[in-house]
Amino acid sequence: MSLEVSNLVGGYSNVPVLKDVSFDVRNNELVGLIGLNGAGKSTTINHIIGLLTPFSGEISINDIQMKDSVNQYKSQIAYIPESPIVYKELTLREHIDLTIMAYGLDVDKAWQRAKQLLKMFRLDNKLDWFPDNFSKGMRQKVMIVCAFITNAQLFIIDEPFLGLDPLAVDDLLKLIEEKKAQGASVLMSTHVLDTAQRFCDRFVLLHNGQVRIEGTLEELKAAFPDAGESLNDIYLSLAKDGGAQ
Amino acid sequence: MKLLYKQRLTSHLKEMMKYLRLVFNDYFLLALLFLIGGLGLSYSNLLAGLNGHEWWLLPVAILVLTISANLGSIASLVEEPDFVFLLPREGQMNEYLRPAFWYSAGLAGLIQIVMTIIVFPLISATHALTGVTGLISLIVLMLVLKTGALLTNIYSFYRINNQAGRQFGLWLVPVITLVVGMYFNFWLALVIAVIIVGGMLGWRQRQINTAALNWNKMIKIESSRMHRIYQFFNLFTDVPMVKGIIKRRRLLQPLLNRIKLSPDNTYRYLYAHGIIRDNEMSGLYTRLTTLGAILLYLIQGQYLPIIISALFLYLIGFQLIPFYFHYEDNVFVHIYPIDKSNQNNSFAKIIEKLLMLTAVIFAIVVIMANLGSLTTIAGVIIVELLEIAWFIKLYLPGRIKKSEFNR
Repeated sequence: MSLEVSNLVGGYSNVPVLKDVSFDVRNNELVGLIGLNGAGKSTTINHIIGLLTPFSGEISINDIQMKDSVNQYKSQIAYIPESPIVYKELTLREHIDLTIMAYGLDVDKAWQRAKQLLKMFRLDNKLDWFPDNFSKGMRQKVMIVCAFITNAQLFIIDEPFLGLDPLAVDDLLKLIEEKKAQGASVLMSTHVLDTAQRFCDRFVLLHNGQVRIEGTLEELKAAFPDAGESLNDIYLSLAKDGGAQ
Repeated sequence: MKLLYKQRLTSHLKEMMKYLRLVFNDYFLLALLFLIGGLGLSYSNLLAGLNGHEWWLLPVAILVLTISANLGSIASLVEEPDFVFLLPREGQMNEYLRPAFWYSAGLAGLIQIVMTIIVFPLISATHALTGVTGLISLIVLMLVLKTGALLTNIYSFYRINNQAGRQFGLWLVPVITLVVGMYFNFWLALVIAVIIVGGMLGWRQRQINTAALNWNKMIKIESSRMHRIYQFFNLFTDVPMVKGIIKRRRLLQPLLNRIKLSPDNTYRYLYAHGIIRDNEMSGLYTRLTTLGAILLYLIQGQYLPIIISALFLYLIGFQLIPFYFHYEDNVFVHIYPIDKSNQNNSFAKIIEKLLMLTAVIFAIVVIMANLGSLTTIAGVIIVELLEIAWFIKLYLPGRIKKSEFNR
């Protein structure tokens, strides 16, 4: 069991945004975190990566909690934020160097991997440029390269598809498959439901800070037989239904 | 649209007043008074010694007046989001720019009048123009020229102007008319200026009614104008709008390359790159170090150099402390599996290196300036070393803890 979130209550100030959220992501698994704007997806992610402290409840990665060992906990995570965040003083090459340092990676091996990824995303001729001046899609690619050179056990990817060109989306999905096959777990939040439906193994549907339902597409269909065939249909009927409550 | 400009102007003026109050504090006013008094005195001495036949009088006057005609540009007060929000009203931007022209013309006109009054004695010494009538007619000419320059500024916002036309309007027209006016006939020059500016108005004004605006250019010009203003204020006080500009500084790259890629060096890597490439930080450091070195070279006395060098070291260190929090807003530094103590140590190491460099420079300057006084030299070196040790070991950790608590 890679990531386990149990009975998480949390939020930004004293008002809880998340009310008793529990779900898990197993090894070799890609789980989609689905929900409307403001449903609590980003808050959940911020709790997992350790930016927020839970009011109550527990989060563990491979049975290690933040309170056991902060560094051991954090070294298992690679994070790709929704809007790319870069250091404005550092070049692309230096972003990769910094990631290598921060995660204590083997310099040669990591650079070998980085070169492959940079070539894949057509950034290999921009190593001495400042990513701060890149377009959003290109900065997003920098984030992906930096995340995928780590040996993280858990990948947290926040809305990766917006701003990426179709080729890059395809490459990203391949990278995720590859990491999954190596035993890593991936938690991905997205609004692009047809892609999610094709690639995610399971889904966690968040609504108003609570998990409405969790499971494979088949399980979701079984639970809501009237809602429709696709993830999109199920999600829409659930969201409208939830709004009416 | 007129109203929009008025609103912007009000808030712009309010902001300017806020900063001007900070700039023109008592000390600055006093210094300014002395500066103006001193300059005025030497200028009047210079004027008294003129016989009117110096060859450089008119060229200097023409040069100063041409530069003056380019002082003060159009305050369009457009902002970056305007490109999106005002796009549907592009047709009415003429109305928006009209009050902008009048405001800018008023401000620039005042500058022209003051500059003309200052330069006029040089001209009247050669008898090219004399008396109150001469002064007033020169002011009129300058106002016409400035109007032309401002119109050129406005036209450059539209997709009609070429670069050559812009340079023509801004530099060539003033130079030509002033040369004609000073060396041949002043009234001819005035007629030429009026015809050129009037012609520009008649010809271009019709064009801009249908021409498309070059939004990117207009916004870029205005933001660089505002940046210049803020940069000036930033000399006296903190202006949040002046964000650090990043410079690559390849010459210092060998220094940065010396940092080994190991986890313990993560923060050192970040801080070193940041301080060297962020113009604000590296600028601050070099400015204060240079200023201190010059001061130490010039001052005399047995103990004064010790006090000055200690003071400057403290000032430099103190100003660098806020950089500790430079990366706090970046999520990634919170996600890296790196200890907090690592951040503290790395920052202290970097500051120590910078202060050491300054201390060495100061010591060399003091040795050069005070070869005779061994007490001063020894005093400076000992005090500097003690101060750095105190700053890094005791003062810095306490400061960081305190600011962390207040965040």
